Amino acid sequence: MNDFRKITPGGRPFTRIYLNVMLWFVGRAIQAAARQDPAVKREFAQLPEGFTFTLTAAPDGPSMVVSKDETGRVTYLGRRPANHPLNVKLTLKHMEGLFLLFTFRESTATATARDRLYVEGSLAEACAVVRILDIVQVYLLPKPVARLAVKRYPRWSFKRHAWDRTLVLLRTVLGV
Amino acid sequence: MRLPDYYEYCCRVKIVAGHEVLEEIPALLARLHAGRPMIITDPGVAAAGLLDVVTGALKDRIAIGAVADAVPPDSDLQAVSRLARVYGEKGCDAIIAVGGGSVMDTAKGVNVLVSEGGEDLLAFTGAGALKKRLKPLVAVPTTAGTGSEVTLVAVIADHENNRKIPFTSYFLLPDVAVVDSRMTLTLPDSITAQTAMDALCHAVEAYTCLAKNPVSDACALEAISLIAGNLLQVVENPGHRDGRLALATAATLAGMAFSNAMVGMVHTLGHSVGAVCRVPHGTCMAILLPYGLEYNMHKNGDEAGELLYALAGEAEFIRTPRDQRAQQTVARIRALNQALHEATGARHPRTLGEVRDRDGKALVPRGKLADIARVAQGDASIFYNPEELDVDDLLMVLEAAWAGLPLDPQRIKRG
Repeated sequence: MNDFRKITPGGRPFTRIYLNVMLWFVGRAIQAAARQDPAVKREFAQLPEGFTFTLTAAPDGPSMVVSKDETGRVTYLGRRPANHPLNVKLTLKHMEGLFLLFTFRESTATATARDRLYVEGSLAEACAVVRILDIVQVYLLPKPVARLAVKRYPRWSFKRHAWDRTLVLLRTVLGV
Repeated sequence: MRLPDYYEYCCRVKIVAGHEVLEEIPALLARLHAGRPMIITDPGVAAAGLLDVVTGALKDRIAIGAVADAVPPDSDLQAVSRLARVYGEKGCDAIIAVGGGSVMDTAKGVNVLVSEGGEDLLAFTGAGALKKRLKPLVAVPTTAGTGSEVTLVAVIADHENNRKIPFTSYFLLPDVAVVDSRMTLTLPDSITAQTAMDALCHAVEAYTCLAKNPVSDACALEAISLIAGNLLQVVENPGHRDGRLALATAATLAGMAFSNAMVGMVHTLGHSVGAVCRVPHGTCMAILLPYGLEYNMHKNGDEAGELLYALAGEAEFIRTPRDQRAQQTVARIRALNQALHEATGARHPRTLGEVRDRDGKALVPRGKLADIARVAQGDASIFYNPEELDVDDLLMVLEAAWAGLPLDPQRIKRG
Protein backbone atom coordinates (compact mmCIF):
# COMPACT_ATOMS: atom_id res chain seq x y z
CA MET A 1 0.00 0.00 0.00
CA ASN A 2 3.02 2.28 0.37
CA ASP A 3 2.94 2.75 -3.41
CA PHE A 4 -0.14 4.91 -3.01
CA ARG A 5 0.87 7.80 -0.83
CA LYS A 6 -1.70 10.04 0.76
CA ILE A 7 -1.45 13.81 0.57
CA THR A 8 -3.00 15.75 3.42
CA PRO A 9 -3.62 19.47 2.88
CA GLY A 10 -1.34 21.58 5.03
CA GLY A 11 -3.74 24.46 5.60
CA ARG A 12 -1.03 27.05 4.87
CA PRO A 13 -0.72 28.32 8.45
CA PHE A 14 1.61 31.24 7.69
CA THR A 15 -0.65 32.54 4.91
CA ARG A 16 -3.59 32.26 7.28
CA ILE A 17 -1.76 34.19 10.01
CA TYR A 18 -0.69 36.91 7.53
CA LEU A 19 -4.22 37.29 6.21
CA ASN A 20 -5.74 37.39 9.69
CA VAL A 21 -3.36 40.21 10.63
CA MET A 22 -4.06 42.11 7.40
CA LEU A 23 -7.83 41.76 7.74
CA TRP A 24 -7.66 42.86 11.38
CA PHE A 25 -5.69 45.93 10.31
CA VAL A 26 -7.91 46.77 7.32
CA GLY A 27 -11.06 46.26 9.39
CA ARG A 28 -9.85 48.72 12.00
CA ALA A 29 -8.71 51.09 9.23
CA ILE A 30 -12.21 51.09 7.75
CA GLN A 31 -13.57 51.97 11.19
CA ALA A 32 -10.97 54.76 11.47
CA ALA A 33 -11.57 56.12 7.95
CA ALA A 34 -15.33 56.17 8.58
CA ARG A 35 -14.66 58.63 11.41
CA GLN A 36 -12.02 60.71 9.61
CA ASP A 37 -12.46 60.72 5.84
CA PRO A 38 -15.33 62.68 4.27
CA ALA A 39 -15.67 60.37 1.25
CA VAL A 40 -15.85 57.23 3.41
CA LYS A 41 -18.35 59.00 5.70
CA ARG A 42 -20.49 59.80 2.63
CA GLU A 43 -20.37 56.20 1.42
CA PHE A 44 -21.46 54.84 4.81
CA ALA A 45 -24.13 57.54 5.14
CA GLN A 46 -25.84 56.12 2.05
CA LEU A 47 -25.86 52.57 3.41
CA PRO A 48 -28.81 51.45 5.55
CA GLU A 49 -28.76 51.41 9.35
CA GLY A 50 -27.41 48.14 10.68
CA PHE A 51 -25.56 47.50 7.42
CA THR A 52 -22.98 44.76 7.89
CA PHE A 53 -20.51 43.35 5.42
CA THR A 54 -17.80 40.74 5.45
CA LEU A 55 -14.73 40.08 3.36
CA THR A 56 -13.68 36.44 3.51
CA ALA A 57 -12.23 33.49 1.64
CA ALA A 58 -14.11 30.26 0.94
CA PRO A 59 -14.62 27.75 2.35
CA ASP A 60 -13.44 28.67 5.82
CA GLY A 61 -10.74 31.26 5.33
CA PRO A 62 -9.85 34.34 7.33
CA SER A 63 -12.51 37.04 7.41
CA MET A 64 -13.42 40.44 8.76
CA VAL A 65 -16.82 41.91 9.56
CA VAL A 66 -17.64 45.63 9.64
CA SER A 67 -20.99 47.07 10.65
CA LYS A 68 -22.79 50.40 10.83
CA ASP A 69 -25.11 50.71 13.82
CA GLU A 70 -28.40 52.64 14.19
CA THR A 71 -26.53 55.83 15.14
CA GLY A 72 -24.38 55.63 11.99
CA ARG A 73 -21.25 54.59 13.91
CA VAL A 74 -19.04 52.18 11.97
CA THR A 75 -17.35 49.40 13.91
CA TYR A 76 -14.99 46.57 13.08
CA LEU A 77 -16.64 43.55 14.67
CA GLY A 78 -13.80 41.10 14.40
CA ARG A 79 -13.36 37.92 12.45
CA ARG A 80 -16.72 36.21 12.55
CA PRO A 81 -19.21 37.45 15.16
CA ALA A 82 -21.94 34.92 15.85
CA ASN A 83 -25.54 35.60 14.83
CA HIS A 84 -24.81 38.85 13.02
CA PRO A 85 -26.87 39.05 9.82
CA LEU A 86 -24.87 40.11 6.77
CA ASN A 87 -26.08 42.52 4.07
CA VAL A 88 -23.13 41.98 1.76
CA LYS A 89 -20.69 39.10 1.63
CA LEU A 90 -17.56 39.49 -0.51
CA THR A 91 -15.99 36.06 -0.87
CA LEU A 92 -12.73 35.13 -2.54
CA LYS A 93 -13.03 31.65 -4.01
CA HIS A 94 -10.02 30.47 -1.99
CA MET A 95 -7.42 31.72 0.45
CA GLU A 96 -4.85 32.10 -2.34
CA GLY A 97 -7.12 34.70 -3.97
CA LEU A 98 -7.30 36.65 -0.73
CA PHE A 99 -3.52 36.36 -0.43
CA LEU A 100 -3.08 37.81 -3.94
CA LEU A 101 -5.37 40.68 -2.94
CA PHE A 102 -3.57 41.44 0.30
CA THR A 103 -0.09 41.11 -1.12
CA PHE A 104 -1.25 43.70 -3.66
CA ARG A 105 -0.48 41.56 -6.67
CA GLU A 106 -4.13 41.80 -7.71
CA SER A 107 -6.54 44.68 -7.31
CA THR A 108 -10.16 44.12 -6.29
CA ALA A 109 -11.13 44.82 -9.90
CA THR A 110 -8.66 42.26 -11.25
CA ALA A 111 -9.81 39.66 -8.71
CA THR A 112 -13.38 40.23 -9.89
CA ALA A 113 -12.38 40.07 -13.55
CA ARG A 114 -10.61 36.77 -12.91
CA ASP A 115 -13.70 35.27 -11.29
CA ARG A 116 -11.98 35.01 -7.92
CA LEU A 117 -14.36 37.32 -6.06
CA TYR A 118 -18.07 36.85 -5.81
CA VAL A 119 -20.71 38.91 -4.14
CA GLU A 120 -23.80 37.93 -2.19
CA GLY A 121 -26.28 40.66 -1.34
CA SER A 122 -27.06 43.98 -2.97
CA LEU A 123 -24.66 44.76 -5.80
CA ALA A 124 -25.12 48.51 -5.32
CA GLU A 125 -24.06 48.17 -1.68
CA ALA A 126 -21.16 45.92 -2.70
CA CYS A 127 -19.98 48.67 -5.08
CA ALA A 128 -19.97 51.11 -2.14
CA VAL A 129 -17.95 48.64 -0.04
CA VAL A 130 -15.36 48.28 -2.81
CA ARG A 131 -15.05 52.09 -3.09
CA ILE A 132 -14.49 52.23 0.69
CA LEU A 133 -11.85 49.50 0.52
CA ASP A 134 -10.08 51.39 -2.28
CA ILE A 135 -9.94 54.60 -0.24
CA VAL A 136 -8.68 52.74 2.82
CA GLN A 137 -5.95 51.06 0.77
CA VAL A 138 -4.79 54.47 -0.45
CA TYR A 139 -4.56 55.59 3.18
CA LEU A 140 -2.67 52.53 4.33
CA LEU A 141 -0.26 51.91 1.49
CA PRO A 142 2.63 53.88 0.01
CA LYS A 143 1.80 55.28 -3.41
CA PRO A 144 3.75 52.73 -5.54
CA VAL A 145 1.97 49.85 -3.79
CA ALA A 146 -1.44 51.53 -3.68
CA ARG A 147 -1.27 52.07 -7.45
CA LEU A 148 -1.27 48.29 -7.84
CA ALA A 149 -4.31 47.95 -5.60
CA VAL A 150 -6.60 50.58 -7.15
CA LYS A 151 -7.48 51.42 -10.75
CA ARG A 152 -6.62 55.10 -10.45
CA TYR A 153 -4.52 56.65 -7.71
CA PRO A 154 -6.58 59.61 -6.53
CA ARG A 155 -5.46 63.25 -6.58
CA TRP A 156 -6.05 64.23 -2.98
CA SER A 157 -5.24 67.50 -1.24
CA PHE A 158 -2.02 67.72 0.75
CA LYS A 159 -4.10 67.85 3.96
CA ARG A 160 -5.86 64.61 3.08
CA HIS A 161 -2.64 62.88 2.08
CA ALA A 162 -0.69 63.99 5.13
CA TRP A 163 -2.91 64.99 8.04
CA ASP A 164 -5.92 62.72 7.44
CA ARG A 165 -3.64 59.77 6.66
CA THR A 166 -1.76 60.29 9.93
CA LEU A 167 -5.02 60.38 11.87
CA VAL A 168 -6.43 57.33 10.10
CA LEU A 169 -3.25 55.38 10.87
CA LEU A 170 -3.28 56.52 14.50
CA ARG A 171 -6.95 55.65 14.91
CA THR A 172 -6.32 52.26 13.29
CA VAL A 173 -3.54 51.40 15.67
CA LEU A 174 -5.38 52.72 18.74
CA GLY A 175 -8.76 51.38 17.64
CA VAL A 176 -10.60 54.66 18.24
CA MET B 1 -2.94 39.89 -28.51
CA ARG B 2 -2.34 40.29 -24.77
CA LEU B 3 -2.85 37.02 -22.88
CA PRO B 4 -4.18 37.31 -19.34
CA ASP B 5 -2.28 35.48 -16.58
CA TYR B 6 -5.52 33.74 -15.70
CA TYR B 7 -8.92 33.43 -17.27
CA GLU B 8 -12.08 31.32 -17.16
CA TYR B 9 -14.46 30.58 -20.01
CA CYS B 10 -17.56 28.39 -20.08
CA CYS B 11 -20.38 28.07 -22.59
CA ARG B 12 -22.19 24.74 -22.51
CA VAL B 13 -24.99 25.71 -24.87
CA LYS B 14 -25.51 23.73 -28.06
CA ILE B 15 -26.14 26.21 -30.85
CA VAL B 16 -28.32 25.23 -33.79
CA ALA B 17 -28.59 28.05 -36.34
CA GLY B 18 -29.94 28.48 -39.84
CA HIS B 19 -32.89 29.55 -41.95
CA GLU B 20 -35.23 26.69 -40.98
CA VAL B 21 -34.02 25.12 -37.77
CA LEU B 22 -37.10 25.32 -35.54
CA GLU B 23 -38.05 21.97 -37.05
CA GLU B 24 -35.04 20.44 -35.26
CA ILE B 25 -36.49 21.15 -31.80
CA PRO B 26 -38.42 17.84 -31.36
CA ALA B 27 -35.29 15.81 -32.14
CA LEU B 28 -33.19 18.04 -29.88
CA LEU B 29 -35.66 17.56 -27.02
CA ALA B 30 -35.78 13.81 -27.60
CA ARG B 31 -32.01 13.70 -27.12
CA LEU B 32 -32.60 15.44 -23.79
CA HIS B 33 -35.23 12.79 -22.92
CA ALA B 34 -38.10 15.27 -23.10
CA GLY B 35 -41.22 15.19 -25.24
CA ARG B 36 -43.85 17.51 -23.75
CA PRO B 37 -42.51 21.09 -23.62
CA MET B 38 -44.11 24.22 -22.26
CA ILE B 39 -43.70 27.24 -24.56
CA ILE B 40 -43.07 30.54 -22.76
CA THR B 41 -43.36 33.76 -24.76
CA ASP B 42 -44.79 37.28 -24.59
CA PRO B 43 -47.79 39.00 -26.22
CA GLY B 44 -45.57 40.93 -28.66
CA VAL B 45 -44.05 37.74 -30.04
CA ALA B 46 -47.51 36.18 -30.33
CA ALA B 47 -48.96 39.28 -32.04
CA ALA B 48 -46.09 39.32 -34.55
CA GLY B 49 -47.08 35.78 -35.60
CA LEU B 50 -43.80 34.28 -34.40
CA LEU B 51 -45.50 31.94 -31.94
CA ASP B 52 -47.48 30.51 -34.85
CA VAL B 53 -44.23 29.94 -36.76
CA VAL B 54 -42.83 28.00 -33.79
CA THR B 55 -45.95 25.95 -33.08
CA GLY B 56 -46.36 25.32 -36.81
CA ALA B 57 -42.84 23.89 -36.93
CA LEU B 58 -43.46 21.64 -33.90
CA LYS B 59 -47.07 20.61 -33.68
CA ASP B 60 -47.09 17.59 -35.97
CA ARG B 61 -44.06 16.08 -34.28
CA ILE B 62 -44.37 16.76 -30.58
CA ALA B 63 -47.07 17.38 -27.97
CA ILE B 64 -46.95 20.91 -26.57
CA GLY B 65 -48.00 20.70 -22.93
CA ALA B 66 -48.84 24.38 -22.47
CA VAL B 67 -48.40 27.70 -24.22
CA ALA B 68 -47.87 30.68 -21.91
CA ASP B 69 -47.97 33.76 -24.12
CA ALA B 70 -48.50 36.56 -21.61
CA VAL B 71 -45.07 37.14 -20.05
CA PRO B 72 -44.94 40.85 -19.13
CA PRO B 73 -41.96 42.99 -20.25
CA ASP B 74 -40.74 43.25 -16.64
CA SER B 75 -41.45 39.74 -15.41
CA ASP B 76 -41.56 39.22 -11.64
CA LEU B 77 -41.49 36.54 -8.95
CA GLN B 78 -45.26 36.08 -9.04
CA ALA B 79 -45.29 35.52 -12.80
CA VAL B 80 -42.52 32.94 -12.45
CA SER B 81 -44.37 31.08 -9.67
CA ARG B 82 -47.63 31.09 -11.65
CA LEU B 83 -45.95 29.65 -14.75
CA ALA B 84 -44.17 27.01 -12.66
CA ARG B 85 -47.55 25.85 -11.33
CA VAL B 86 -48.93 25.62 -14.88
CA TYR B 87 -45.88 23.59 -15.92
CA GLY B 88 -46.63 21.04 -13.19
CA GLU B 89 -50.39 20.93 -13.75
CA LYS B 90 -49.96 20.30 -17.49
CA GLY B 91 -47.37 17.58 -17.02
CA CYS B 92 -44.63 19.31 -19.01
CA ASP B 93 -41.05 18.03 -19.03
CA ALA B 94 -39.13 20.83 -20.80
CA ILE B 95 -39.32 24.55 -21.60
CA ILE B 96 -39.08 26.34 -24.94
CA ALA B 97 -38.51 30.07 -24.42
CA VAL B 98 -39.42 32.16 -27.47
CA GLY B 99 -38.61 35.85 -27.12
CA GLY B 100 -36.11 38.45 -25.96
CA GLY B 101 -34.35 39.01 -22.67
CA SER B 102 -37.44 39.16 -20.43
CA VAL B 103 -38.89 35.91 -21.76
CA MET B 104 -35.52 34.16 -21.43
CA ASP B 105 -35.10 35.38 -17.86
CA THR B 106 -38.62 34.29 -16.97
CA ALA B 107 -38.08 30.86 -18.50
CA LYS B 108 -34.84 30.44 -16.56
CA GLY B 109 -36.67 31.39 -13.33
CA VAL B 110 -39.49 28.93 -14.08
CA ASN B 111 -36.92 26.26 -14.79
CA VAL B 112 -35.37 26.75 -11.35
CA LEU B 113 -38.72 26.22 -9.61
CA VAL B 114 -39.89 23.26 -11.68
CA SER B 115 -36.51 21.53 -11.33
CA GLU B 116 -35.74 22.30 -7.69
CA GLY B 117 -39.31 22.33 -6.39
CA GLY B 118 -40.98 24.90 -4.18
CA GLU B 119 -42.64 28.19 -5.01
CA ASP B 120 -40.11 30.67 -3.64
CA LEU B 121 -37.52 31.67 -6.21
CA LEU B 122 -35.75 33.80 -3.60
CA ALA B 123 -34.56 30.58 -1.96
CA PHE B 124 -32.22 30.15 -4.94
CA THR B 125 -30.38 33.48 -4.87
CA GLY B 126 -26.71 33.65 -4.00
CA ALA B 127 -23.62 31.89 -5.24
CA GLY B 128 -23.86 28.11 -5.35
CA ALA B 129 -27.59 27.98 -4.52
CA LEU B 130 -28.27 25.81 -7.58
CA LYS B 131 -26.50 22.49 -7.28
CA LYS B 132 -27.90 20.26 -10.01
CA ARG B 133 -28.83 20.22 -13.65
CA LEU B 134 -32.25 21.74 -14.41
CA LYS B 135 -34.98 20.57 -16.82
CA PRO B 136 -34.24 20.86 -20.56
CA LEU B 137 -34.48 24.47 -21.74
CA VAL B 138 -34.50 25.44 -25.42
CA ALA B 139 -34.02 29.15 -26.14
CA VAL B 140 -35.37 30.63 -29.36
CA PRO B 141 -34.31 34.31 -29.58
CA THR B 142 -36.63 36.70 -31.44
CA THR B 143 -34.25 39.66 -31.40
CA ALA B 144 -30.65 39.71 -32.54
CA GLY B 145 -29.23 41.54 -29.56
CA THR B 146 -29.38 40.36 -25.96
CA GLY B 147 -27.55 37.06 -26.35
CA SER B 148 -29.66 35.71 -23.44
CA GLU B 149 -29.83 32.36 -25.22
CA VAL B 150 -26.21 31.72 -24.18
CA THR B 151 -25.94 33.56 -20.87
CA LEU B 152 -26.02 32.20 -17.33
CA VAL B 153 -27.87 35.11 -15.77
CA ALA B 154 -31.55 35.73 -15.12
CA VAL B 155 -32.84 39.01 -13.71
CA ILE B 156 -36.30 38.78 -12.13
CA ALA B 157 -38.18 41.74 -10.69
CA ASP B 158 -39.47 41.74 -7.13
CA HIS B 159 -42.20 44.36 -7.51
CA GLU B 160 -43.30 44.07 -3.87
CA ASN B 161 -39.90 45.28 -2.70
CA ASN B 162 -39.17 47.41 -5.79
CA ARG B 163 -35.94 45.65 -6.72
CA LYS B 164 -34.45 43.42 -9.40
CA ILE B 165 -32.86 40.17 -8.32
CA PRO B 166 -30.00 38.69 -10.36
CA PHE B 167 -29.62 34.90 -10.43
CA THR B 168 -26.32 33.56 -11.72
CA SER B 169 -25.41 29.93 -12.22
CA TYR B 170 -24.02 27.71 -14.95
CA PHE B 171 -27.16 25.62 -14.46
CA LEU B 172 -29.20 28.53 -15.84
CA LEU B 173 -27.56 28.18 -19.24
CA PRO B 174 -30.09 26.87 -21.78
CA ASP B 175 -29.35 23.41 -23.15
CA VAL B 176 -29.90 24.52 -26.75
CA ALA B 177 -30.09 27.88 -28.51
CA VAL B 178 -32.12 27.62 -31.70
CA VAL B 179 -31.23 30.62 -33.86
CA ASP B 180 -33.64 30.76 -36.79
CA SER B 181 -33.61 33.69 -39.23
CA ARG B 182 -37.44 33.58 -39.49
CA MET B 183 -37.67 34.83 -35.91
CA THR B 184 -36.14 38.23 -36.72
CA LEU B 185 -37.42 38.79 -40.28
CA THR B 186 -40.30 41.02 -39.17
CA LEU B 187 -38.37 43.22 -36.74
CA PRO B 188 -38.88 46.94 -37.55
CA ASP B 189 -35.79 48.81 -38.78
CA SER B 190 -35.25 50.86 -35.61
CA ILE B 191 -35.50 47.75 -33.37
CA THR B 192 -33.11 45.91 -35.68
CA ALA B 193 -30.66 48.79 -35.33
CA GLN B 194 -31.00 49.05 -31.53
CA THR B 195 -30.65 45.35 -30.87
CA ALA B 196 -27.70 44.92 -33.20
CA MET B 197 -25.95 47.87 -31.55
CA ASP B 198 -26.60 46.16 -28.21
CA ALA B 199 -24.83 43.07 -29.55
CA LEU B 200 -22.01 45.23 -30.96
CA CYS B 201 -21.62 46.78 -27.54
CA HIS B 202 -21.44 43.35 -25.86
CA ALA B 203 -18.67 42.34 -28.25
CA VAL B 204 -16.70 45.61 -28.03
CA GLU B 205 -16.84 45.76 -24.23
CA ALA B 206 -16.00 42.06 -23.92
CA TYR B 207 -12.89 42.71 -26.05
CA THR B 208 -11.78 45.90 -24.30
CA CYS B 209 -12.65 45.45 -20.61
CA LEU B 210 -10.80 43.82 -17.73
CA ALA B 211 -12.07 40.23 -18.01
CA LYS B 212 -11.16 39.81 -21.68
CA ASN B 213 -9.72 36.45 -22.62
CA PRO B 214 -8.66 34.75 -25.86
CA VAL B 215 -11.81 32.63 -26.23
CA SER B 216 -14.17 35.55 -25.66
CA ASP B 217 -12.00 37.67 -27.94
CA ALA B 218 -12.47 35.24 -30.83
CA CYS B 219 -16.25 35.34 -30.42
CA ALA B 220 -16.25 39.12 -30.04
CA LEU B 221 -14.20 39.79 -33.17
CA GLU B 222 -16.39 37.56 -35.33
CA ALA B 223 -19.54 39.17 -33.90
CA ILE B 224 -18.22 42.67 -34.70
CA SER B 225 -17.29 41.64 -38.21
CA LEU B 226 -20.76 40.15 -38.86
CA ILE B 227 -22.56 43.23 -37.52
CA ALA B 228 -20.37 45.69 -39.39
CA GLY B 229 -20.86 43.75 -42.62
CA ASN B 230 -24.62 43.23 -42.40
CA LEU B 231 -26.43 45.72 -40.18
CA LEU B 232 -26.97 48.56 -42.66
CA GLN B 233 -27.93 46.13 -45.41
CA VAL B 234 -30.57 44.53 -43.20
CA VAL B 235 -31.98 47.87 -42.02
CA GLU B 236 -32.32 48.96 -45.62
CA ASN B 237 -33.61 45.57 -46.78
CA PRO B 238 -35.44 43.90 -43.82
CA GLY B 239 -36.23 40.72 -45.79
CA HIS B 240 -32.52 39.94 -46.31
CA ARG B 241 -32.52 36.41 -44.80
CA ASP B 242 -28.78 35.85 -44.90
CA GLY B 243 -28.20 39.23 -43.30
CA ARG B 244 -30.77 38.42 -40.60
CA LEU B 245 -29.04 35.12 -39.86
CA ALA B 246 -25.68 36.91 -39.74
CA LEU B 247 -26.99 39.41 -37.18
CA ALA B 248 -28.63 36.68 -35.09
CA THR B 249 -25.39 34.69 -35.15
CA ALA B 250 -23.46 37.82 -34.18
CA ALA B 251 -25.76 38.39 -31.21
CA THR B 252 -25.20 34.80 -30.03
CA LEU B 253 -21.42 35.13 -30.45
CA ALA B 254 -21.46 38.45 -28.60
CA GLY B 255 -23.48 36.76 -25.83
CA MET B 256 -20.85 34.02 -25.59
CA ALA B 257 -18.17 36.72 -25.36
CA PHE B 258 -19.72 39.03 -22.79
CA SER B 259 -21.17 36.34 -20.53
CA ASN B 260 -17.56 35.33 -19.87
CA ALA B 261 -15.62 38.58 -20.32
CA MET B 262 -18.37 40.81 -18.93
CA VAL B 263 -19.02 44.44 -19.87
CA GLY B 264 -17.92 47.86 -18.65
CA MET B 265 -18.96 51.48 -18.37
CA VAL B 266 -21.21 51.58 -21.46
CA HIS B 267 -23.47 49.13 -19.66
CA THR B 268 -22.91 50.86 -16.31
CA LEU B 269 -24.33 54.05 -17.78
CA GLY B 270 -26.80 52.35 -20.10
CA HIS B 271 -28.46 50.37 -17.30
CA SER B 272 -28.83 53.57 -15.31
CA VAL B 273 -30.24 55.65 -18.19
CA GLY B 274 -32.74 52.82 -18.71
CA ALA B 275 -33.63 52.63 -15.01
CA VAL B 276 -34.05 56.39 -14.50
CA CYS B 277 -35.54 57.44 -17.85
CA ARG B 278 -37.01 54.22 -19.31
CA VAL B 279 -34.90 54.41 -22.48
CA PRO B 280 -34.65 51.12 -24.43
CA HIS B 281 -31.41 49.33 -23.62
CA GLY B 282 -30.15 49.09 -27.22
CA THR B 283 -30.63 52.81 -27.77
CA CYS B 284 -28.51 53.58 -24.72
CA MET B 285 -25.82 51.18 -25.93
CA ALA B 286 -25.64 52.72 -29.41
CA ILE B 287 -25.31 56.25 -28.07
CA LEU B 288 -22.85 55.48 -25.25
CA LEU B 289 -20.52 52.99 -26.98
CA PRO B 290 -18.19 55.60 -28.58
CA TYR B 291 -17.90 57.36 -25.21
CA GLY B 292 -16.89 54.17 -23.40
CA LEU B 293 -14.08 53.68 -25.90
CA GLU B 294 -12.96 57.32 -25.70
CA TYR B 295 -12.96 57.36 -21.90
CA ASN B 296 -10.85 54.21 -21.56
CA MET B 297 -8.58 54.85 -24.54
CA HIS B 298 -5.49 55.74 -22.48
CA LYS B 299 -5.79 52.30 -20.85
CA ASN B 300 -7.01 50.04 -23.65
CA GLY B 301 -6.26 51.97 -26.84
CA ASP B 302 -4.37 49.01 -28.32
CA GLU B 303 -7.41 46.74 -27.96
CA ALA B 304 -9.76 49.40 -29.29
CA GLY B 305 -7.42 49.85 -32.27
CA GLU B 306 -7.45 46.12 -32.99
CA LEU B 307 -11.22 46.29 -33.42
CA LEU B 308 -10.81 48.43 -36.52
CA TYR B 309 -9.95 45.32 -38.54
CA ALA B 310 -13.27 43.68 -37.70
CA LEU B 311 -15.23 46.90 -38.07
CA ALA B 312 -13.77 48.32 -41.27
CA GLY B 313 -11.84 45.55 -42.94
CA GLU B 314 -8.22 44.91 -43.85
CA ALA B 315 -7.67 47.84 -46.24
CA GLU B 316 -8.70 50.54 -43.77
CA PHE B 317 -6.86 48.81 -40.93
CA ILE B 318 -3.61 48.82 -42.90
CA ARG B 319 -4.15 52.35 -44.19
CA THR B 320 -4.65 53.75 -40.68
CA PRO B 321 -1.45 54.43 -38.69
CA ARG B 322 -1.26 52.25 -35.59
CA ASP B 323 -1.54 55.16 -33.15
CA GLN B 324 -4.73 56.40 -34.83
CA ARG B 325 -6.60 53.09 -35.04
CA ALA B 326 -8.41 53.47 -31.72
CA GLN B 327 -9.74 56.92 -32.70
CA GLN B 328 -10.73 55.50 -36.09
CA THR B 329 -12.65 52.69 -34.35
CA VAL B 330 -14.62 55.34 -32.47
CA ALA B 331 -15.16 57.32 -35.68
CA ARG B 332 -16.41 54.16 -37.43
CA ILE B 333 -18.98 53.49 -34.68
CA ARG B 334 -20.16 57.12 -34.78
CA ALA B 335 -20.46 56.85 -38.57
CA LEU B 336 -22.52 53.65 -38.19
CA ASN B 337 -24.87 55.43 -35.76
CA GLN B 338 -25.21 58.32 -38.23
CA ALA B 339 -25.95 55.93 -41.11
CA LEU B 340 -28.58 54.12 -39.00
CA HIS B 341 -30.11 57.48 -38.06
CA GLU B 342 -30.53 58.30 -41.73
CA ALA B 343 -31.65 54.81 -42.79
CA THR B 344 -34.37 54.67 -40.11
CA GLY B 345 -35.79 58.13 -40.80
CA ALA B 346 -34.23 59.53 -37.57
CA ARG B 347 -35.77 56.78 -35.39
CA HIS B 348 -32.25 55.77 -34.31
CA PRO B 349 -31.12 58.59 -31.97
CA ARG B 350 -27.47 59.66 -31.95
CA THR B 351 -27.44 61.52 -28.63
CA LEU B 352 -29.23 61.18 -25.29
CA GLY B 353 -30.81 64.58 -25.99
CA GLU B 354 -32.40 63.18 -29.15
CA VAL B 355 -34.16 60.24 -27.44
CA ARG B 356 -37.93 60.75 -27.64
CA ASP B 357 -40.99 58.72 -26.68
CA ARG B 358 -43.83 57.99 -29.13
CA ASP B 359 -45.37 61.38 -28.43
CA GLY B 360 -42.14 63.18 -29.23
CA LYS B 361 -41.39 64.06 -25.60
CA ALA B 362 -37.72 64.05 -24.56
CA LEU B 363 -37.04 60.93 -22.48
CA VAL B 364 -33.71 62.09 -20.99
CA PRO B 365 -34.07 65.63 -19.60
CA ARG B 366 -30.68 67.19 -18.94
CA GLY B 367 -31.70 67.69 -15.30
CA LYS B 368 -31.83 63.90 -14.82
CA LEU B 369 -28.16 63.32 -15.69
CA ALA B 370 -26.97 63.76 -12.09
CA ASP B 371 -29.50 61.14 -10.91
CA ILE B 372 -28.33 58.76 -13.63
CA ALA B 373 -24.69 59.23 -12.58
CA ARG B 374 -25.56 58.45 -8.94
CA VAL B 375 -27.49 55.29 -9.88
CA ALA B 376 -24.62 54.19 -12.13
CA GLN B 377 -22.25 54.06 -9.17
CA GLY B 378 -24.17 51.02 -7.93
CA ASP B 379 -24.02 48.98 -11.14
CA ALA B 380 -21.72 45.97 -10.87
CA SER B 381 -20.43 46.31 -14.45
CA ILE B 382 -18.36 49.26 -13.18
CA PHE B 383 -15.96 46.67 -11.66
CA TYR B 384 -14.93 45.47 -15.12
CA ASN B 385 -14.23 48.89 -16.62
CA PRO B 386 -10.51 49.51 -17.15
CA GLU B 387 -10.54 53.06 -15.75
CA GLU B 388 -12.02 54.27 -12.49
CA LEU B 389 -15.29 56.20 -12.63
CA ASP B 390 -16.50 58.48 -9.87
CA VAL B 391 -19.73 60.48 -9.98
CA ASP B 392 -18.01 63.46 -11.64
CA ASP B 393 -16.56 61.22 -14.37
CA LEU B 394 -19.92 59.60 -15.03
CA LEU B 395 -21.61 63.00 -15.24
CA MET B 396 -18.96 64.32 -17.63
CA VAL B 397 -19.56 61.37 -19.98
CA LEU B 398 -23.35 61.75 -19.73
CA GLU B 399 -23.17 65.50 -20.49
CA ALA B 400 -21.12 64.80 -23.61
CA ALA B 401 -23.44 61.96 -24.73
CA TRP B 402 -26.48 64.18 -24.14
CA ALA B 403 -25.08 66.92 -26.36
CA GLY B 404 -23.44 64.58 -28.89
CA LEU B 405 -19.96 66.03 -28.36
CA PRO B 406 -16.80 63.93 -28.23
CA LEU B 407 -15.10 63.64 -24.83
CA ASP B 408 -12.46 66.22 -24.04
CA PRO B 409 -9.31 64.12 -23.36
CA GLN B 410 -8.05 66.84 -20.98
CA ARG B 411 -11.00 66.17 -18.67
CA ILE B 412 -10.35 62.43 -18.35
CA LYS B 413 -8.54 61.92 -15.05
CA ARG B 414 -5.53 59.62 -14.98
CA GLY B 415 -3.96 58.14 -11.87
